[in-house]
Amino acid sequence: MTVQMRDMYLSDHLTMCRWQEFLESEGIHEFQAGEVRPIEETVGLFDEDGRLIATGSLAGCVLKYIAVRREDLDHSALFNRIVGELIARLADRGATHYFVFTKPMYVTAFEHIGFTKLAQVEQGVLLEGGLPGIDAYLKDVRALGNWPQSAAIVMNANPFTLGHRHLVEVAASRNRHVYVFVVHADRSLFTTDERLELVRQGVADIRNVTVVDGGDYLVGFATFPAYFIASPEDVVDYQTKLDATLFRDWFVPALGITRRYVGQEPYSPTTEAYNKALKEVLEPRTQVTVIEREQAGGEPISASRVRQLVAQGDLDGIDALVPATTRLFIQHHLLQLQMRI
Amino acid sequence: MDITRTATAGTLESSDIQVTLAPGGDGIDIDLTSDVIKQFGEQIKATITSVLKDYGITSAKVKAVDKGALDIVIKARTVAAVQRALDIVEQPKWEVL
Amino acid sequence: MAENGEKLRRTMMFVPGNNPAMIKDAGIYGADSIMFDLEDGVSLDQKDAARYLVYEALTNIDYGKAELVVRINGDDTPFYENDIKAMVKAGVEVIRLPKVESAEMMYRLEQKVEAAERQFGRPVGSTKLMAALESAEGVLHAEEIAKSSDRMIGIALSAEDYTTDMKTHRYPDGQELLFARNMVVHAARAAKIAAFDTVFSNMNDPEGFYRETRLIHQLGFDGKSLINPRQIEMVNEVFTPTHDEISNAQNVMAAIKKAKAQGSGVISMNGKMVDRPVALRAERVMKLAKAAHIIDEEGNYLGK
Repeated sequence: MTVQMRDMYLSDHLTMCRWQEFLESEGIHEFQAGEVRPIEETVGLFDEDGRLIATGSLAGCVLKYIAVRREDLDHSALFNRIVGELIARLADRGATHYFVFTKPMYVTAFEHIGFTKLAQVEQGVLLEGGLPGIDAYLKDVRALGNWPQSAAIVMNANPFTLGHRHLVEVAASRNRHVYVFVVHADRSLFTTDERLELVRQGVADIRNVTVVDGGDYLVGFATFPAYFIASPEDVVDYQTKLDATLFRDWFVPALGITRRYVGQEPYSPTTEAYNKALKEVLEPRTQVTVIEREQAGGEPISASRVRQLVAQGDLDGIDALVPATTRLFIQHHLLQLQMRI
Repeated sequence: MDITRTATAGTLESSDIQVTLAPGGDGIDIDLTSDVIKQFGEQIKATITSVLKDYGITSAKVKAVDKGALDIVIKARTVAAVQRALDIVEQPKWEVL
Repeated sequence: MAENGEKLRRTMMFVPGNNPAMIKDAGIYGADSIMFDLEDGVSLDQKDAARYLVYEALTNIDYGKAELVVRINGDDTPFYENDIKAMVKAGVEVIRLPKVESAEMMYRLEQKVEAAERQFGRPVGSTKLMAALESAEGVLHAEEIAKSSDRMIGIALSAEDYTTDMKTHRYPDGQELLFARNMVVHAARAAKIAAFDTVFSNMNDPEGFYRETRLIHQLGFDGKSLINPRQIEMVNEVFTPTHDEISNAQNVMAAIKKAKAQGSGVISMNGKMVDRPVALRAERVMKLAKAAHIIDEEGNYLGK
């Protein structure tokens, strides 16, 4: 059977319909804008009669919507071709490290072509391929220093506030050493580099703290593709547990993390769900401690409030919520930040 | 010589091998996936290492996914990956071939 | 002009240069020539990888009696020079240049090939050349291209690009290729080199394939380019001489032998002189018959 590999342009209505039709026949039914819009490239394998028999897409460095017609005898060969083509296109762009979120039933197929399983939960699994891998990342983190036991905080810090500072102070006072991981996501108002720098400046005076870039591994669970999850109620559960599992299976053993500190989240049900998932997944080996939020003027300090004030240009209002280092940065880049909003 | 960027060559199709090279690693560090790793793992790694040595590369992280490639295919794919990683695709090292 | 009396070139099988599975098996199908493709059958980002794969194959795999040809990238691409060097170093038998439009392109190729032969210690002149004509310009210059070098062993027609250049496309009856095919075969005959017809890509139309192959055989082509091993047997079948042709050829061979034994400079048969073209044709028929396993090496009928 001669198959032809062709680009599929989802912006074309007809192509989009064919694509969705095929995926639905293979058990994938979720096509929300959030999952489809980020797709940059889609390839398809077509048989001699012009029928779509396999497909795969790329959104940044994430492979998704991969499906191969079930009744094909050549199933794994077609699968390898699709994934191989996507990897080649990534390589063309200079991207040699990539991820795939998919149903647990595909773990073996991906491992068979060299992917490494990073985390698996009931509804889905995360794998990585290419180089550098998570072991190289963790090795780099370990190179920053060796501590038999450490506590950990994972924060977005968009931007770093007095609330974040409080959390770090509490952790640092109760533990020999604290890792502060900064989530890697340029979707935020402050870029990853800016947030990292503000965190570093904000805790510079606390001796037993090491600030670390979350790299490709701490990216904010809300961004995890869930196109293959059948019911919407399962999505948050899957995303939060997957993130927690990755942390438990890789970060905890490599870095000796015995405690994880999180801030209480009265306003965000998603973050509440996340904290709950962390407890479920990490304990009892790693203790999860929820710290009450630092308050200012009778209100819990929140980074979103700071961002609102930035939009309004209210530097005085910001003073009560952020340390001097953050205030200085905002002051110097106010116009730039406002333009990003 | 040391490699400065990550590069890949080869496909995941039958009889081929996909070789990815990245800078770093303790000496030449090869992570191999292969159906015949027990019988031919050492030989596959030796072929890859030999090509790297010919280019004077002493340390690199290598990820290889083998789909039943012959020795000459392993060599060809490794040569392509090395040239890409060293950014000398337009000026091949003829002595190594 | 290169004398091609020795080699049969009925089938030239195209093998994509970046496909290890097809490359390693290319020798088992019995094609007269194997053409490793570094050009259109390889995507832009894999040109370098294909080059080294074909290099390793050429220097290590035993392809039996098949003639080994490589289609390099055109002289207007960045891959041209490195392709030439790698293939000459590998000791390829024939380099096929695509999109040839003038004798000058072949002169330039020959210069680079010679330089590479010296650089890599290959005997100068050992690498032969072939030209593929893919445009109106190329077809119109077929004669000068065919005669451009002593290293030339053949010219080929590439219909896909040619019909695009001609603002038409391929049709089942092949009328749009009439002129081009005739130019190619005439040029080849005048230059005493081989003429190759183009690829037939519809695997679901064996009748159409036979029809086309019979046509080009009738026009005098030496062989056809193929993309699928299944086509090899079909082409060989069409090129197999008939019983009558073989008988006649055997008679000619006998007449030649008799004349030689008598020390006579003139060969005659049935009251007519047997001149060189006739003698050559008889040799060719015998060779084709042997290749089709109808007769053995000594000229005796096999089987049945």
